[in-house]
Amino acid sequence: MPQGMDKGIKPAVALGRTLNLANVLKMLKASIRPLGLLGPAGVWLLLLMVLPTLLITELSFVPGLRPGEAIEGYGLLNYLRILEPTYLQVLRRSATFATGTTLLCLLLGFPVAYWLALMAPKRWRNLLLVLFILPLWTSSLLRTYAWITLLRPSGVINLALGALGLPTQSLMNTHWAVYIGMTYSFLPYMVLILYASLERLDLRLLEAAADLGANPRTTFWRVTVPQTLPGIAAGCLLVFVTSLGDFVVPTLLGGPSSMTISRLIYNQFLGVARNWGFGSALSMVLILMVSLAIALLLKYGDRNPEIYS
Amino acid sequence: MPRRISRNSLLSRTSRRRFLQGSAAALAGVGLANCQRTIGEAGGTGETASTDAASDSTQASGTLHIYTWADYTDDELAAQFTEATGIDVKVDVYDSNETMLAKMQAGGGADYSLIYPSDYMVTEMIDLEMLTELDKSRLVGLDKIREKWKSPVYDPDNSHSVPYSWGTTGLLYNSELLTTPPTDWDYLWDNSDVLSRKMTMLDDVRETMGAVLSSLGYSYNATDPAELEAAYQKLLELKPDLASFKSFGWQDELLSGDLLLSMVYSVEGIPVSLENPTFKYVIPESGSSVWTDTMVIPTSAPNVDAAYEWINFNLQPKVSQETVERLFFATPNGEAMTMLSKELLENENLFPPEDLLAKCEGIAPVGEANALYDEYWTKVTSA
Repeated sequence: MPQGMDKGIKPAVALGRTLNLANVLKMLKASIRPLGLLGPAGVWLLLLMVLPTLLITELSFVPGLRPGEAIEGYGLLNYLRILEPTYLQVLRRSATFATGTTLLCLLLGFPVAYWLALMAPKRWRNLLLVLFILPLWTSSLLRTYAWITLLRPSGVINLALGALGLPTQSLMNTHWAVYIGMTYSFLPYMVLILYASLERLDLRLLEAAADLGANPRTTFWRVTVPQTLPGIAAGCLLVFVTSLGDFVVPTLLGGPSSMTISRLIYNQFLGVARNWGFGSALSMVLILMVSLAIALLLKYGDRNPEIYS
Repeated sequence: MPRRISRNSLLSRTSRRRFLQGSAAALAGVGLANCQRTIGEAGGTGETASTDAASDSTQASGTLHIYTWADYTDDELAAQFTEATGIDVKVDVYDSNETMLAKMQAGGGADYSLIYPSDYMVTEMIDLEMLTELDKSRLVGLDKIREKWKSPVYDPDNSHSVPYSWGTTGLLYNSELLTTPPTDWDYLWDNSDVLSRKMTMLDDVRETMGAVLSSLGYSYNATDPAELEAAYQKLLELKPDLASFKSFGWQDELLSGDLLLSMVYSVEGIPVSLENPTFKYVIPESGSSVWTDTMVIPTSAPNVDAAYEWINFNLQPKVSQETVERLFFATPNGEAMTMLSKELLENENLFPPEDLLAKCEGIAPVGEANALYDEYWTKVTSA
């Protein structure tokens, strides 16, 4: 780089130069601003995320660790135990709930976001968005209790159905109730992210497709969806990750067969088992599943970098 | 030029896009944080352990910070105590012994001078050396405790604990809609078609497995794998007809008729039956669980003097009698019992007859078998 351009010199570039004192000082000086800005967040991340995760990783390799005990030996027993059918069943159930919720949110959320972004009157868009996001401002526990009031055999939905002479539903305490509760809880996230993605859709492409003879359905599948794929991936990831670890909805709305991985972890730490080693191993598996989901996002989410420009 | 693009200037499109991206990220963050919070809330229903600021424990009789069950203290009791002794009371609540133990072991209980573990938890905490031995000379009124609790199994000679309340677990049912009343645990299995999806059992491993073990004639504290396997199979049979495993939140559904029968703790079931005679509480004949909750002083207590004052205050018969009348738990205080209203004294649910009480077992620690209980529970709730 030319001699005179010190301002904002990148440490990486400086390394290419001779390593005398002046250059090292320049390097440090240039790093101060980025470090100063990243410092608080970095420290926070380190202390509150990285260190606890490392601690849990360590504990997960201690078979049969009870709280308050000293660590006696390490082993893979906790992880091997997860491979037992009982616990694989729990993992499978959590993954099924999460996948089902994600698909439902996508199917319900995409039309809403499409309408909001492209077809709703412009004046009302922000208001409608806010109205959609409003439930997020209440506690998710309260929202789940509201669903209990709706879905109960003597609840509001059945009262309405009965008044209309229609057969009543008995969804309470079943897996369907869990899907309903979770989809309701996470739909706003999906809509918001899809809205952001659809909002920057270049409408000229749609017009061009129409000019070239595509009918609306072809345009949708071959132009709109590929363009919004990063948004879809991001929305699906967010909903998947949060519903995978959801504790409240399966516990309150699910029946006696709705043990999920978060509830299992809770039982290991605070239940009768008090096996912190096993609980830590389960937590690590949950982190692994989430990381897999993020990896998939990174693969499919960066399809067309040019649309970001 | 395409119509839509020319309407928005480049600047407003970019900033609105940025705003939406930013708000999506912010809301996602808030939402995820919300999920974290609800984990704690859901574990404790609406009565979560509040995170109060540390009590000021430097003064000898300044503040007493107690950690207790939700139904045991109310504002009136705390007010009476403050009036009598001048010590302020701060109350935090928990809903399970394990939560309390986890918090104490993790170091979060350093503020508490008094906690209320149940019987089996007292034994465990004594083994873990978390409780101070009580100085009997400082306690007034221990002689008034009934015989049964003078030297209980979980803490011989009450060396570390003072019994505060006791109760049972039983079945609360809608006597109008159930033509034949339940008398024993087997009622659930025999009438599973009538009760299908309209009955709940407690969301507590030891209580529910214990009830099934009792119905098979085994002990609540069984450790034999064969017995536990039999109980597991029997529970699995019943499961399709269970609405859910609920320890709390059954009131609305029971009162509205969605549920016909719930397995409940006496402390919660008896008030419902007293308020509304349609609902009756029954202790199964083959024996249920009897629990005792105690007052203990942890070794990390900052204000031991105030703790002794509180214990002495609650041992006073008058205070005990008034609390029972307000909060409906059974007291082990013999003299307080004589002062209770006739209605409460004769309430067989609150004070079951001796022969039934003899069949009720206290839940004791089962050591290594805990892992087996947990595994069967996981199997039952995930099948």
